[in-house]
Order: sequence, then C-alpha cells, then structure tokens
Amino acid sequence: MTTAAVRVRGLTREFTRRRAQPRLALDAVDLTVEEGEVHGLLGPNGAGKTTLCKILSTVLLPTSGTALVNGFDVVRETKQVRQGIGIVFGGERGLYTRLTARQNLMYWSALYQQPTRVAKARVAELLERMGLLERADDAVETFSRGMKQRLHLARGLIGDPRTLLLDEPTVGMDPVAARDFRSLVAELRGEGRSILITTHDMAEAESVCDKVSLIDGGKVIGTESPRTIGGWMSKYERVRAQGVPEEVRAKLRALPGVSEVRVEDDEEVLVSVDAEGAAARVLRTLVDAGVSAVSTSRPSLEEVYLHVIGDRGLAVR
Amino acid sequence: MRNTARVLRYAFASAMADLRATYTWKSWGLAWLLRMLFQVTLFAFIGKLIGDPRVVEYLVIGNSVFITADVVMLVCASTSWERMSGTLPLLVASPAAPFTVFTGRSAQWLLDGLACSTISLLVLPPFLGVQLPLGTRLAVVPLIAVIAVSVYFFGLVLGGLALRAMAARNLIGRVGSIGLMLLTGVQVPVSFWPTPLESLAQLLPLTHGLGAVRAALGNGSASDVLRGIALEVVVGVGWALVAAFTYWRLTASGRRDGTIEFGG
Ligand SMILES: Nc1ncnc2c1ncn2[C@@H]1O[C@H](COP(=O)(O)OP(=O)(O)O)[C@@H](O)[C@H]1O
Ligand SMILES: [Mg+2]
Repeated sequence: MTTAAVRVRGLTREFTRRRAQPRLALDAVDLTVEEGEVHGLLGPNGAGKTTLCKILSTVLLPTSGTALVNGFDVVRETKQVRQGIGIVFGGERGLYTRLTARQNLMYWSALYQQPTRVAKARVAELLERMGLLERADDAVETFSRGMKQRLHLARGLIGDPRTLLLDEPTVGMDPVAARDFRSLVAELRGEGRSILITTHDMAEAESVCDKVSLIDGGKVIGTESPRTIGGWMSKYERVRAQGVPEEVRAKLRALPGVSEVRVEDDEEVLVSVDAEGAAARVLRTLVDAGVSAVSTSRPSLEEVYLHVIGDRGLAVR
Repeated sequence: MRNTARVLRYAFASAMADLRATYTWKSWGLAWLLRMLFQVTLFAFIGKLIGDPRVVEYLVIGNSVFITADVVMLVCASTSWERMSGTLPLLVASPAAPFTVFTGRSAQWLLDGLACSTISLLVLPPFLGVQLPLGTRLAVVPLIAVIAVSVYFFGLVLGGLALRAMAARNLIGRVGSIGLMLLTGVQVPVSFWPTPLESLAQLLPLTHGLGAVRAALGNGSASDVLRGIALEVVVGVGWALVAAFTYWRLTASGRRDGTIEFGG
C-alpha cells in the first residue's frame, strides 16, 4: 500500500482575534491527495486555502484534527515533513531580490542539506529547466514577474520533494506566463511528484488537475473531476449584449435554461444560464434578432458555487 | 554538525552577496567608512574641548571600538528583512534550524564593522594627537573581533524580538545600539552609572572586551587583558544561548498564533 501524499482528517483551525469573534478558517476538513496526483483546491478568497497550505507546510498548527504529509504528522514529525515538501506561493515575495537567481538557489540547497557538488549540478539543471540559465547571474530584482515565479518553483524543487504545495502560484501572472507555469506543473506530475495546488480559477483547476476539491468558508464541499468543473463553466456561462429591444429580452427570459436576464446601468443586458446548451440558444436568439454586440464570459466561482451548493441542497456557510 | 557548518557558510555567502549589492567599494569607503570616522572624530573633539588629553584618548579608543558594535547591531535590522522579503515561512518550513540560518545571514556586518574599527584605530589617533604605538593598535584587532561576535549574538536576540514586533524593529535596534554606547564604557567609565546600571553593564557585550582593549593599549597587565576578553567570551556565549532560545520561541509561537505569513 502506498501512503497518500496528503491525508487530512477533521482538520480545524481557529484564529483568535483582538476585540472580535474567533474566526474559523478551516472547519473539519477531510482531504486526500493520492501519490502522483495533481490535486486542485478550488475556492474563492478567504475560503481557507492558504491556511491549509500553511498547516501542511508546518508553519501553522491546527486547532484540532490531523494532517499527514508523505505519511508524517505535521505537528509531531515536522523534520520528516519538511524534508519531503516543496512550497511555492504566488506573488513577488519569497525571494532574496538583491541576490542572483543562482545565489538564491545555492542558498536554499544548503538549507535542504545537499552536498555542494550535488547542489551545483541541481541548481544548473533547475535554472536550465525554468528557462533562467541566461539570467542566472543577474539580481532577482531585475526579473519579470513570470521569471520570479519560475525561480520560485525552482526553489520549491531544490530539495527534490515528493510532494509540492503550490498556493495560488499563478496569481498576478500574465496569461502566457500562467500557461507556461501550468505546463511545468504537468511535467512535474510526469516525474511522479504529488501536487496540491490551490486556485480560485476554474479554468486553471480544469486544465492542470486530476481531481479538484471545492472549498468555501473553511469547508470542503466535495471533490470533483476537472471535467465536471469544465462542464460548470459552460453550463453557467454568461452572455452580455448591447442594444437588446424589450421584446427580445422577454423572449430570452422565456428560453429554457435561462435563469436571469438583468439590465445593467449602461443598458447592457446580462443573461445567466444554468443548463447545458442554454448559452447557445441565447446566442442564436440574439443573432436572429439582429443584435450584434454580443460576448460571452465565464461565470465567477462564487456564482458557480451558489448554483452547485443550491442544487445539492446544501446550506451556504 | 557538518550540515550546520554548510548552512552557516551559505547563509554567510548570501550575506556577503547582500553586502556587495548594498555597497560598492567606493560608496563603502566614501560614505559609510567616512561617516564612522567622523563619528569618532566628533567625540574626540568633545574631549579636546574639555582639554584633557587623557579624555581624548579615552574617547578615541572607546568610539573606534564602538564602531564595530554600531555596525554589527545592523543584524537587528537585517534579521527583520527576512519577514519583509517573505522568506520567513520558507525558512521555517525548511529542514534547517532558523537560528543557524540567522546566525550566518547577517555575518557580513562582522567584517564590515571590524574593518571600520581597524581603519579608525590605524588612521585617527595620530591626527587627533593621541600617542599609541602602531604595533599595539594592530594587536587589539583580534580583541575587537571577539567583541564583534558577542555583540552579534546580542543583536540577534534583538533581531528576534524585532521579527515579532515589526513596527518597532528600527526602534529596537537603535535603543540597543545607544544602550551599548552609553552603558558599556564607550564615552564614560562604567563606574559613572548608578549601581543597577553598572551591574547591567556587566551583562552586556562590549563592556569587558572594551576594558581588555583599553588595558592592552594603556598600561594594563596581560592578565587584565586576558580576564577582560575571557569575560567578553562568557557574555557572548550567554547571549548566543539566549539567541538560540529566542529563535526557537519565535517559530514555536509563530506556528501557534499564525504570524508566519505566506508571502507576507
Ligand atoms: N492570521 C490570521 N488571523 C486571523 N484570521 C485569519 C488569519 N489568517 C487567515 N485568517 C482568516 O481565515 C480565513 C481563511 O483565510 P485564507 O486561508 O487566507 O483563505 P484563502 O487563502 O482561501 O484566501 C479568512 O477569513 C481569513 O481572514
Ligand atoms: Mg490564499
């Protein structure tokens, strides 16, 4: 039997706050990331994603419940946990910006207890792999956001970890950089590493994960296949149109699968749907009526959660 | 053990890289070093106003050695940079001990401070009319190195406090530095202070080491020098232990109350 990369049971974390009610950031969370799996943790801001990552990376203690990483307990066996994980979080921070990329990596390789000879080779290999070799000896403060993030990932890989914890790694990246980053994640999966990646982006969850757990208000609502997430994105798609006459609006409202037709301030009409194929019907109706200023957009995560939770008869929060 | 040495070495390597990124040789010499030499000269002139050559000598020696302490106390600030750069959680989550890393991480100041003090002792006395043989001035440099290390561990303790109270980080460093300047016999003899402060001074770094330097440069006996420097070592080891405890506490309480922020 193989040990799961991450095994979390009944994990709860409460934050006490000055002059305020304590906040329950995680509420009896159960989660399993199998070995070799890319597991997405999808949830809006404040859902508890970072709190979970912090507990798994041993920088935060749980209030109750258990969490094992690579089979080791994050409270009692911190040493073993730390040796087996790599951590990457999004944003600009977490690097020594005055040092060069190579100096950053050599420094961390010493902290991950690698012999100098091994470290030199590994650092060169990681720089090459992340496309940073040419800038290896430049100060990190001169790097673009995408480069910093790739260096961050290289840093996370320095100890050759079995399990990677990626906390919103693509936040703030431009689309091209984010796509490159995702293909790196896919490569890492190919090497047999287990990955927990948090995100609030459904498209990201769909494109890189083997499984996706939904988290909101500190609770895991369920675990789905990325296909299902993709299905929701089209099922709950939104259509925007301008210059829609009143009788056409009425027609739209009468279409099956249309949940709402809202008129925004600037006379823009926003159509929400909640059935497969309904968005296509809306588009056809608009085009047939001669409306040409039409665009579609993805639903927000919050909207999808409202639908999903509603459909399952679960209470929100 | 070997691992600790390597962590120290690499942490020190990045400390030096940090230093090189902060200063060029020119800006170090023209701005930083000159500022330190001015500071010594300024205090020496106060002695000249008083008109006693022994006071001038007292101040030149005290302030030249104090430069090392002043520079080394930057460890307090550079330790708190770890939180600003967002690397603190990564450090805590790594297999290395934070105390080891922090010990190497700011060690550039040891060399920086020692260099400034040495140059001050070599260059300034003749200009300020203080007669000290060149040989003895050079001979006290190793004593100053010992002082640098014990002040460093004291600064690491304050740096650990600054990491917990980031808003007060500059204040903590300044108070520490000024405290050393006033209490440890830099400007006035330790005996100048009321008994409680005098006793406090015995526990601070610099006090005994500076005494040893004064003994070596004046007509103290060899045993005075040895006793002073031995006490400085004892005080330094004491502060190193307190520092180790401080960083252990920092991690333990940070994990409990959630103050080790990701990316923050
Ligand atoms: N150190 C803390 N003190 C108090 N509340 C916190 C702390 N860290 C997180 N929280 C709260 O816990 C909840 C979950 O936060 P977080 O895990 O950062 O969410 P996410 O990463 O999904 O955006 C939020 O309501 C947040 O305000
Ligand atoms: Mg977060």
